[in-house]
Amino acid sequence: MPNTSRFWIVLAAALALGALAPPDAGAQTKLVVGNAGGSSADAERKVFYGPFANANKITIQEESFNQELAKIRSQVETGNLIWDMVSTTAINVATGCEEGLLEKVDWSKYFDPKVFRDVGGVSECGVPYLFVSGGLAYDGNRIKEGPKSWADFWNVTKWPGKRGLLYRAEQTFEVALMADGVPPAKAMEVLAAPGGPDRALKKLDELKPLIHWWKNGAESINLLASGEVAMAYAWNGRVASANKTNNLNLKMELGAGHVSGCQYWAIMKGSKNKELAIKFIQYAVTAQNQADFVRVISYGPANRDAYALLTDQEKATLPGQHLDKASLQLGKLYLGFWLANGDSLLQRFVKFAAQ
Amino acid sequence: MALPPHATVLERTAHVGVRALSVLVLGYLVLPILVVLPLSFTSGELLVYPLPAWSLRWYREFTTAPIWTRSLWNSVVLAVVTTAVATTVGMLAALGLQSLRSRLKPVLYGVLALPLIIPHVMVAVALFYYYARLGLVGSFSGLVMAHTVLALPFVVITIAATLQGFDANLPRAAASLGASPLQAFRLVTLPLILPGVLSGAVFAFVTSFDELLVILFVGSPEQRTLPRQIWSGVSETMSPAVVAAAVVLIGVSLLLMAVVELLRRRGERLRGVTRP
Amino acid sequence: MLALVAPSVLFIALFFVAPLGLFLFRSIDNSEVPGWLPRTTAALAGWSGEGLPDEPAFRAVAEDLAALSGSTALPLLGRRLNHNIPGFRGLITGTGSRVDLSRPGRMREQLIALDARWGEPLYWQTIRRERHVVTPFYLLSALDLRYGASGAIERAPAESAIFLGLLGRTLAISLIVTGLCVLLGFPLAITMAGASPARANALLILVLIPFWTSLLVRSTAWVILLQNSGVVNQLLVGFGLVQKPIPLIFNRVGLYIAMVHVLLPFMVLPLYSVLKNIPPELMRAAASLGAPPATAFLRVYVPQALPGLVAGASLVFVLALGYYVTPALVGGPGDQMIGYFIAYFTNTAVNWGMASALGTLLLLVVALIYLALGRVVGLNRLAVR
Repeated sequence: MPNTSRFWIVLAAALALGALAPPDAGAQTKLVVGNAGGSSADAERKVFYGPFANANKITIQEESFNQELAKIRSQVETGNLIWDMVSTTAINVATGCEEGLLEKVDWSKYFDPKVFRDVGGVSECGVPYLFVSGGLAYDGNRIKEGPKSWADFWNVTKWPGKRGLLYRAEQTFEVALMADGVPPAKAMEVLAAPGGPDRALKKLDELKPLIHWWKNGAESINLLASGEVAMAYAWNGRVASANKTNNLNLKMELGAGHVSGCQYWAIMKGSKNKELAIKFIQYAVTAQNQADFVRVISYGPANRDAYALLTDQEKATLPGQHLDKASLQLGKLYLGFWLANGDSLLQRFVKFAAQ
Repeated sequence: MALPPHATVLERTAHVGVRALSVLVLGYLVLPILVVLPLSFTSGELLVYPLPAWSLRWYREFTTAPIWTRSLWNSVVLAVVTTAVATTVGMLAALGLQSLRSRLKPVLYGVLALPLIIPHVMVAVALFYYYARLGLVGSFSGLVMAHTVLALPFVVITIAATLQGFDANLPRAAASLGASPLQAFRLVTLPLILPGVLSGAVFAFVTSFDELLVILFVGSPEQRTLPRQIWSGVSETMSPAVVAAAVVLIGVSLLLMAVVELLRRRGERLRGVTRP
Repeated sequence: MLALVAPSVLFIALFFVAPLGLFLFRSIDNSEVPGWLPRTTAALAGWSGEGLPDEPAFRAVAEDLAALSGSTALPLLGRRLNHNIPGFRGLITGTGSRVDLSRPGRMREQLIALDARWGEPLYWQTIRRERHVVTPFYLLSALDLRYGASGAIERAPAESAIFLGLLGRTLAISLIVTGLCVLLGFPLAITMAGASPARANALLILVLIPFWTSLLVRSTAWVILLQNSGVVNQLLVGFGLVQKPIPLIFNRVGLYIAMVHVLLPFMVLPLYSVLKNIPPELMRAAASLGAPPATAFLRVYVPQALPGLVAGASLVFVLALGYYVTPALVGGPGDQMIGYFIAYFTNTAVNWGMASALGTLLLLVVALIYLALGRVVGLNRLAVR
């Protein structure tokens, strides 16, 4: 029969337990990184976190961050920082920088920013470390004569079957414009001009009955591999690693035009480990580490010097040869447009997709 | 409900039909969980049948990988503290409500039951804004409070149900024999309602242990719990380690369910309810 | 005795009612605009709303924005007004960082030269409309309404009106799931109620197993089972029922399968407790009075069962309305319910006014259902007696 006083002792002990460290807590300096998890985090761990942590005798703790800006905001605004740095998109770097959520750093003190010129350069608050390309993908085993352009993607008489597209306005609108004859480099310009979204939606409407929307990268690959769709918009790294692990023959036609952009490292404003984070970023963007990273993850490097360290086969699914056919997810026009219209276009897109 | 001998063909068909449907529905309820469990014993990396071979590697990973052991530890600590707080507070509330005669009673019951009917995601989001303003995002005590609020209705309802069969004259008899209210509670009431209290405690524990959304919105990396870790694991390349973790969750829940069932029977015995 | 209840009421008040109340208040909270544009809102209070305001308003907005320049308030104000008019963000941040208060001449010319949009009445009308500490903007948006150019409330353009449709989708999915739970749960509960005590106990345990298994684990199990390479498809193909795997996940079918599975125990358990207490003599009495079995069932059994059916169905319906985890894991992009958008507006879009407005809408629907239910069940009990 529980004695009341014993009960309170137990309760107090339990509360004290909560303040205790969990079994495996270490006493080392800890750098907390927010990333998207999954296969990209696995690659980052192998090439960046692991070696860096070992070399500097620190621990790197990963946390889940799926571009939820609110999580950054709530931490910085309350001064209750849990993360030190995050892996994030160009739009979030721009927004976060403007809204005082990310540290502004003079990167030229740590490395030569010119090596990032091809991918849009560094921003005050973010350094690119990965160049992702989304383009036309199809199963080489099912389609012998592959499509060569986005107009071909829309050609359902010659290549019957469904089409996989990303369930997002951003990237999908650019693709629609490219299919409508707009050169990839001009796609953002046309989209930002009056009537741009209307034109994109009109083009998408032509394909509507056959569109199968996908929301995460793994889904896009499954759709292609199972034959559920004949062609899909997919990200190059996913395609390459699916070919490697599952022995598939998915092909990408980057010459048709691709939407490419960077993933950036950004440091949370007020982080106590700011210097350590900068050191980590320095480490992650050297040409050698970038090349190693590419080998594991199959996305493009941000540091152009890394290309010289890669073999031809490794460069096969990279857009290095087709940088002129890119609709780049960076620059004032891109950022200004999506910052202003992101929410309203999302609504239009959701409405369109639901009909 | 046996069929009378004069049942018509229609009645017999309906009877058989209802039973058949019931079997199917039961299968639908139970089989998916059972079918998925063996996948945690696969030696391969994919979640498909047939299993290449049986292996405990994923359970080994679950018990050694810090990301899982820490989650388990966090879940247990949080659930234990929540249970202690929720059971104490809830028991007091149930006792207080039972002897209340005022018109406030249904209102209070309603207020205490609110967390049950408000959509969970709204509670989690609302707490996020609230804690963000108070600087409590990521604090352990903040989580305990949130989980306590979610568990309270279960505790109160369970103990209140037990109290219904409780004879209020017994503590009064103890008082008439000279016992102070605290003594009467400790020596007379508590032992009799203990099965109900422990059941309530179990409900509180399970509520906290299984809880995902509040942790998702309000928890910090330090407080990553088992459901939180499973949620991360389900999104993309689902490894069998996630299924192993799920099996552990199921095991704990079912064990506690058995405990509640046993307590219920014991409670009935104590109160003199005969089992048919 | 009231003192014993006090701690729990305090808990619920502090950690449940207060957060919810604050959250709901956010749907009308508009402290940003009058707080950061004090001079402008004062200057526009007397403006008619026609054409463009006078020079004092231009100077006021220039002063307000200059005061915010360099702080995080400027982009946050821009973000806030961007909800009303896409592009407002750039107007605010661009003006705030470049306006020069010391330059001679009319501020009107300077501002319009900086950005032509200061010459468009729409932007001024918007600030004027949003000058109070509370605003109906978010709630209107959640109902696909807005203030038109003329100042009257009108429908939002059809091309971006998604919220009523979203509410409709959420209600429809919840209704269908509830209906399926009734169809599947009723026979099971009848069987359990009519079984011998030992067997009924065994059946009860079988129903309790999924009930006690966490929602997350059950949804995860369905993700595994419904994949193209999952067990369900393997069985279908293996038995020759289909040629190749059918897509069962990330679509409405998979969502129904998973949601009904998760919610069924909530239907069966209350229903069973009611059916258990229906005396079997009633049916026999009806038969002895000459009622054919179907009539006896419909006119004697069902009315007795109705409170249980209604309790179970309403519980399932309300739970389904607010579901987030299961649709997020098992549903496709077109199957997301209101809970998903509340989370999206909170986390990703950081538009907390919208998240709250949707939440308010959801709560309103839940409250209406409970009120309606109260009447129906009340009426029903009278009928039975």
